[in-house]
Amino acid sequence: MIRLTMVFLFVCCLTLATVIDPSFQRMHRMESSPGNVFVALMGDSRSLFAHEFFAKADAYFHSGFYPTIFDTQQAGKELDLKEESRDKPAGSESHEEETSFLGAPKDWIDRFGRHFYPTVHTHLSGGNEREMLPWLKLSAELDPHEIATYLTASYWLRTSLNKPKEAEQFLREGLRSNPDSYAILLELGRVYLDNWKNPWVARNICILAREKWRRQEAAGDKPDPHSYEEILGEIVQADRALGDAKGLLSDLEELIKVAHSKEPLQIEIDDLKRKQGEAKP
Amino acid sequence: MSSSKSLSTNRNPGAHNIFAIAGVVIKEMYRRKDFYVLFALVILITLLLGSLNFFDDDRIVRYLKDACLLLIWLFSLIIAMTTTARQIPAERESRTIFPLLAKPVGRGEFVVGKFLGCWLACGISLLAFYFFFGVLCASREHTFSLLVYFQAMWLHWMCLGIVVALVLFGSVVFAAPSSNTTICFIVVLGIWFAGGHLHTVALQMPGLRGAIVSFIYYAIPHLEWYDVREFIVHDWGLIDWPAWVGASIYAILYTGAFLGCTWLVFRRRTLTV
Repeated sequence: MIRLTMVFLFVCCLTLATVIDPSFQRMHRMESSPGNVFVALMGDSRSLFAHEFFAKADAYFHSGFYPTIFDTQQAGKELDLKEESRDKPAGSESHEEETSFLGAPKDWIDRFGRHFYPTVHTHLSGGNEREMLPWLKLSAELDPHEIATYLTASYWLRTSLNKPKEAEQFLREGLRSNPDSYAILLELGRVYLDNWKNPWVARNICILAREKWRRQEAAGDKPDPHSYEEILGEIVQADRALGDAKGLLSDLEELIKVAHSKEPLQIEIDDLKRKQGEAKP
Repeated sequence: MSSSKSLSTNRNPGAHNIFAIAGVVIKEMYRRKDFYVLFALVILITLLLGSLNFFDDDRIVRYLKDACLLLIWLFSLIIAMTTTARQIPAERESRTIFPLLAKPVGRGEFVVGKFLGCWLACGISLLAFYFFFGVLCASREHTFSLLVYFQAMWLHWMCLGIVVALVLFGSVVFAAPSSNTTICFIVVLGIWFAGGHLHTVALQMPGLRGAIVSFIYYAIPHLEWYDVREFIVHDWGLIDWPAWVGASIYAILYTGAFLGCTWLVFRRRTLTV
């Protein structure tokens, strides 16, 4: 009887193995990429950690001068790191006037304690921006759908650190995870235009970004209008670099519809039209 | 040589007893495997992190310093707490405390000797940890800020002094070393992360609750002062020397207070298990 039971159990195990094995094989294949290891281990909590790591990069950007969860922060204010990586120098001017989140010392313990942590608002510069990169990379590994991580890392890689190759590689990684992102395409276009000095490819990438933006708008996703202006701006820059007057005129006319400062664009359009008129027999 | 030693012993037998007990504690530390395992872990984890490649840039170093210092802090706290928590209970369980106290060793000397031994043991382990940290920084950054590391290590050691005294006090209050270690670990981590912000929290609380939180804020030892990792990681340079001295005095006062409390409880404690 015992022998029969043992044989029966053995047969059961064998049958079960044939049923379960294909599922395990599928799971192993899925887990072979690092992103999927994080998914398996951390589930949805990884986006929370990704946000923390992005904040850590921001803290590094300020050399440790960074508010904790107990410190008061302005509601709705974006992280400095995101703000700085948008090719908008106006942000840095406002920092000079920005008051410290610390405020006045509340008591002698607070006053004395300030000797032991950074209390001056500074930003990394002179190539030291590289110190933020590990946290941005880790943040992207944990949440590959957070587009701001790719844009921020790429901005510093292609500007201060002069590493356009790495920036492009990282952006392409981001594009694989977010194929519909017009923002990543715009940043990639900038790499080609500003770093590789290849306006032809840059223009094509930005046109693709424009298409994605329009498609999202048509679908009612409300894409960022400022990004659209930036995309058209990059296309115009590429046209200028290519010396394509006809393309430039049509792209400028498109840009002027959404641009905030229309006057210089109008002057350029008028100038181009005049030149084209003169060129015709 | 031996006559001069016996003379000094005769002149100050209390100090001799204290150093003898402290010596035993230090010997115990280097006979046990705890420190070696934790030190090897610090080296292993740091080297593993150092081998990671981020965007083909081998000059990235701050994340590595940050991780290494965090490990050093965590592991030094573990060494300090586990070493201290077992001292008095182990002596009582093995009944070695009776011949010790039967000799002319006072209970106060016993407490101070145990404290000194644990604190010096922590200091020796910190020396090893910070030496590794210094070598790591020198190899990656090609700089060695000796004074900065000295300030940081000293403050770290002072902080461990408070922790050791606190755990020693816990070992005469709580029944088992495990409960003492757990409670002290929670208290120390709580002070480390939130101690400096309790007043901010208290200001947002109404009435008596706010007053209680404010009282706790002023009463607790502010261990967060001694964590100057941000200074080292982000190369902020030296801490103000007067502040450094002030923090050292503050630590000595709290250590003395905890040791005094330990002695007050321990001197009337029945030693039978």
